[in-house]
Amino acid sequence: MSKMRSEAESSEKRTESRERSSFFSKFIGGGTISRGFKNAFRNSLRTVSIVLILSLAIGMALVMLMSYNAVQAKIDSVKSNIGNFITVSPAGIRGFEGGGSLLTQDDISKIKEIDGVSKVAQTLMDHLTTTNTNLQAATEAGDFGARQRGESQMQGTSQTSNHDFSMPVMISATDDLSVLSSLNISQLNFTSGDKFDATTQDNVAIIGTDLASKNNLSVGSNFQAYGKDVKVVGIFDAGTKFANAQVFMPLKALQNLSGQTDQINNAVVQVTSIDRISDVQSKIKTALGDKADVVSSQDTSNQAIAPLENIKTISLYSLIGALIAGAIILFLTMTMIVRERRREIGVLKAIGSSNIGIVTQFTAEALVLTLLGSVVGIILGLLLSNPILSVLVSNNTTQGPGAGSHNMMMRTGAGVIAGAQGTLNNLTANVGVDIILYGLGAAVIIAIIGSAIPAYVISKVRPAEVLRSE
Amino acid sequence: MLQVKNLSKVFQSGESKVSAVNNISFGVPEGTFATIIGKSGSGKSTLLALLGALDRPSAGEITVGDQVITKMGDKRQIDYRRNQIGFVFQSYNLVPNLTALENVMLPMEFAGIEIEKRKNRAAELLKEVGITEDKFERRPAKLSGGEQQRVAIARALANSPKLILADEPTGNLDSATGKIIVDLLKNLAKREKTTIIAVTHDESIARASALTFRLKDGKLAR
Repeated sequence: MSKMRSEAESSEKRTESRERSSFFSKFIGGGTISRGFKNAFRNSLRTVSIVLILSLAIGMALVMLMSYNAVQAKIDSVKSNIGNFITVSPAGIRGFEGGGSLLTQDDISKIKEIDGVSKVAQTLMDHLTTTNTNLQAATEAGDFGARQRGESQMQGTSQTSNHDFSMPVMISATDDLSVLSSLNISQLNFTSGDKFDATTQDNVAIIGTDLASKNNLSVGSNFQAYGKDVKVVGIFDAGTKFANAQVFMPLKALQNLSGQTDQINNAVVQVTSIDRISDVQSKIKTALGDKADVVSSQDTSNQAIAPLENIKTISLYSLIGALIAGAIILFLTMTMIVRERRREIGVLKAIGSSNIGIVTQFTAEALVLTLLGSVVGIILGLLLSNPILSVLVSNNTTQGPGAGSHNMMMRTGAGVIAGAQGTLNNLTANVGVDIILYGLGAAVIIAIIGSAIPAYVISKVRPAEVLRSE
Repeated sequence: MLQVKNLSKVFQSGESKVSAVNNISFGVPEGTFATIIGKSGSGKSTLLALLGALDRPSAGEITVGDQVITKMGDKRQIDYRRNQIGFVFQSYNLVPNLTALENVMLPMEFAGIEIEKRKNRAAELLKEVGITEDKFERRPAKLSGGEQQRVAIARALANSPKLILADEPTGNLDSATGKIIVDLLKNLAKREKTTIIAVTHDESIARASALTFRLKDGKLAR
């Protein structure tokens, strides 16, 4: 006891040490956070239960976030595979089918003027028949060819019925060989020679391997078309019998030879970015009016990604739901804990704790519970993400995209759609550090909201209330 | 040291108003062990809460030293509770998951004292109130009632307060232990020149004190 006198007198020294103490310990209390950590383990049964429940919510949120990201990545890849193209065709005409007028150079100029258009590839198609070529068709007429010919006779052509007729040779021309889809093929492998400069007016051509062998043509040899010599500069194998029986020429050369100056069957418009497709599409429609049918790759990609969009929506709502559930669980838990410790809060205030100190202590406790929940939740998420994603995928893709589509315009999108359909089944959720950080970030926000509100409410209660209930 | 002037506290209960403390004035000199005695419901706990800035009066003024605590804002009142007052409660109110030593260190932590100094002073105080070193690391549940109240007194002394407010400090103890606790408080007041005000309904404590105020229906009947 005698020492206490000197202690009382040495209060000046303590004031000095108080002044030296940091802002942190002065206003929050050095041990506040560690006390919060300790309190998280005060009741081990409760800690385990809360951590388990929280981990389920956080794990679910994480799974949904991973699914969302996986699906978003797949949507992006499908969109970029399909490309940023708009196909413009004369109204009523598809290839050699239908009727009406072809597009003209004038129409193409209008398209080129539209903001967002980066490139326009034009295509013209024609038939070479015995009347204007010395080429023999590489394909036999067969039943299908005979029927086509029969129909055209009924429509009033002057040709007489002839069962020994030879099939016309299809000739296509473009001013841009890079847009092969506009030529109805996916790729060209040259067996000899090389491609031509599509912008020239020279009478040059590349021909399919089947057509070349049927007519004994090789690189450097000529054939007759529209009464002129056309030089073979390349022989290609496109992988299909249909394409390998065709002739390709530069656009202007065919326009001149066939007397279709300035006319175009089809234009493929490349847009500066995928986001601008629908905007540019509607501008082309406005510019060309009834003259043209305008179809974008987005129209086809939308079909391909519809089931993915469903999964994305489900994932997003489940993600939000799981986060809200986690926040509610923690909010109720902390409210319960805070109510339980009303007396203790009153005592802490009576002996000099500030409100912010009490709120900090409870927030630290909630943080520990949520972080533990997150760790277990992340493990659960890692284990469950792919099984849950595959369930989501199989439940949402029973009607495959593109099924039953028989649109001529599908030629650009069909392969990609089939690809998208195939990859839906092997969609994988990948966990990156960013995903885990998002999870932890969400947990921290949940913890702060879940604990600060009840703690703040209680910290507003005057400590005398606590004394009175004794 | 302590001056109370025309102090009142009125509680609103539905439509009716209850005057728990009704226009009280009194003074307690420095280093005095004073008791406020009254039956339950006489307003003694309310008075103690007002003296400790745990509640605000409806009217009147409390002065401790040269500070009018009833005029202080919330932040200054926290500072006042932290540095100038020590509380001793009937049910000890130690933090259950902290050890005896940690409980005594708590008010010093709020005052921003460095951890080593906190530890040393807490150990000193515990020894002085008669807690042996082997019990420093025990949690309150592992201590007897008398020991818990000693720890609570050590905690109240931690920041060398000018005033210790004790609410029924022997209420939960047997009479022998109660007497020891009262003697401890009495000696403290004498040696430390700390003013101690204990609220009680126990006449024996009142007899042991230097100054007694009797409270009845919120009014002083000295």
